[in-house]
Amino acid sequence: MKQKNNSIAKFFVKMLGNEKYQFITIPVFSIIVSLLVGAIVILLLGKNPVEAYGNLLQGSGLLMKEKYAGGKGMLTDFLSFVDYWTPMIFAALAVAVALKAGLFNIGVSGQMLAAGFIASVTVGYSTLAAPIAKPLVIIICFVVGSLVGGLIGFLKHKFNINEVVSSIMLNYIVQYVTAFFIYTKYVDPVSRQSKNIADAARLTLKNVEIGALKGDIPLGIILAVIVAFIIKYVFDKTTFGYEIKAIGFNTNASKYAGINVGKNMVIAMMISGGLAGLAGATYYLGYFCSMQPKVLAATGYDAIAVSLLGNSNPMGILASSFLINIINKGSTYMSSKAGLDAEIASVITGLILLFSACGAYIQYLVKKNKDKIEENKKAKGEA
Amino acid sequence: MLDKIIIDGLSFALPLFVMAIGGIYSERSGITNLALEGLQGAGAFVGALVATFLMMALPSESQIPYYAAMFTAMIGGMLYAMLHAVLCVNFKANQVISGVVINILAMALTVFLTKVVNRIAFGAASDKFLLNVSSRWTIPGLSSIPIVGAVFKDIYPFEVIIVLVAIIAWYVLYRTRYGMHVRACGDNPQAVDAAGIDVAKIRFSAVMISGALSGLAGMCFAYSISAKYASTIYVGYGYLSIAALIFGSWKILPTLGACLLFGFAKSAGHQIVQVLEMPSSYSDLVMVFPYVLTLLLLIFFSKHNAAPKALGEIYDKGKR
Repeated sequence: MKQKNNSIAKFFVKMLGNEKYQFITIPVFSIIVSLLVGAIVILLLGKNPVEAYGNLLQGSGLLMKEKYAGGKGMLTDFLSFVDYWTPMIFAALAVAVALKAGLFNIGVSGQMLAAGFIASVTVGYSTLAAPIAKPLVIIICFVVGSLVGGLIGFLKHKFNINEVVSSIMLNYIVQYVTAFFIYTKYVDPVSRQSKNIADAARLTLKNVEIGALKGDIPLGIILAVIVAFIIKYVFDKTTFGYEIKAIGFNTNASKYAGINVGKNMVIAMMISGGLAGLAGATYYLGYFCSMQPKVLAATGYDAIAVSLLGNSNPMGILASSFLINIINKGSTYMSSKAGLDAEIASVITGLILLFSACGAYIQYLVKKNKDKIEENKKAKGEA
Repeated sequence: MLDKIIIDGLSFALPLFVMAIGGIYSERSGITNLALEGLQGAGAFVGALVATFLMMALPSESQIPYYAAMFTAMIGGMLYAMLHAVLCVNFKANQVISGVVINILAMALTVFLTKVVNRIAFGAASDKFLLNVSSRWTIPGLSSIPIVGAVFKDIYPFEVIIVLVAIIAWYVLYRTRYGMHVRACGDNPQAVDAAGIDVAKIRFSAVMISGALSGLAGMCFAYSISAKYASTIYVGYGYLSIAALIFGSWKILPTLGACLLFGFAKSAGHQIVQVLEMPSSYSDLVMVFPYVLTLLLLIFFSKHNAAPKALGEIYDKGKR
């Protein structure tokens, strides 16, 4: 038994021991473990996990389905997948920027809704032409989001209010206030949601013919990828990025080093909120074209998972959001095809989160075992 | 109308209060606990599950499922809280992240399991457990006192349980050796360790207590708000109770005041909408009231707040 334990430990140390690659090996390890646990649950429910996971890929347009309705194909599914992926990238970047500054922006969903609402009522219901309306939507959403985010940062800096509490309070306030206005002014009597916005203001081009197929072209994805690279550049190469990171590591030390902590904190939250606003733009005025009153987008909370999984690194976030989006987007198809509850998808996401929260501990365990193995080797060499 | 405000306000404030006490235990021991929201949901899930099974086995007028649900919800919350404790105490994970993770997982798991259990055990495609409507007590004599009497009118039985639990919790935290250790762990864990007491053990148990109290609170909400268990239990009362305890400066009695304030603000808002016969959409606007009030009050009081000194810090023996 001891022998067996040793070889297992050796295997894991070999797989995860290289510190240089741990930033990628440990998240991948968490994902694999979560998928395995998910597979066991699916097995217990009497379904085939391989098939179920295949359905997830099929639903996301990454694997051929058996048959498609007329005018639809794998590309249609994939474009829809990308359309849903875009707000997730923005939202996760929003969480990541705040995390770098040592702040926890749990209010992303609220900021998304606030931005989406203001942009809908100003531009979405107007008759502006597309070339003006679309950029305007993006600008308005960024500004509104950054104002809400900035307010949270300001309250933290000026009045010492925990950002988690204030952003949750703001989430509720936004949720109820927008619901009030939607119900009294902008409601669609049939769907009980807000009225659909004009196509000119929408960031997704609907039903574009591509060869024989029809698909939705998400314009936001280009911006999302560009923004991810900009943020990476800012944090890796600029003084401002360095200062934000310094605050995140140690507020007091940064203060002594002459960094204006308060100002940087507010700015970091403004950027974070602005990114959340862009997520709102691509969600409420892109993938969807209306708002459901009193409901906050789950994207804002899933973004926390995505950001953690991606080590709050923009490139990591592109990868992790892709993965989580497969689970989210594919779950509808999986539940209709395999007869599994779509909720299993969020359970798997939750598990991935749980294991990635243990990342530091896994790292510690691996290091401990690695040292042990090396000691053993040395002892053997001496004997 | 005033009666109604007091009755509804209390039935909302007391569960919030007991959950906040749980939060105080955890945070005074030095473990940030944003997981209250998930703990109350997970606890209530277990309680509702037990109650549903008991309701099938017992005659419909039996009160046993009600009390069994309260008790098992505490156990359920306690067990689920161990996950947070393991992550924060043993695995030394970031406590804020752990809390949020626990919430997301609790919501996903309970919604999923509610569906699965309903299908497998009851053969029904339902995403909720229906509970009995709670009985309510009115104390004769006391309840006929003008204004104050409303406190003794139409009481949910759980309100009595909560008052008892709260008194015990207050006594334990401020008057016993264990309570002193809990408070010391949050302020100076090194000193606690030097005195030969296991910091990890104290913190672990404090988080478990917070789970038990949150579970109780969750079950109360399930009974009082809609007499059912469904995903609607995750509307953020956990976060509201965190706001209350911060607002109450991590002390039990001021926290009670904060909770009462939330409760009465909420019920008064509803009454105003009804009395003025405003259209129902206005109730959304009124719902904002407790949250705006929280923010405003936090603006005035947060500066003077003294959080436990070692709150959120991972205990490291080598540090001093």
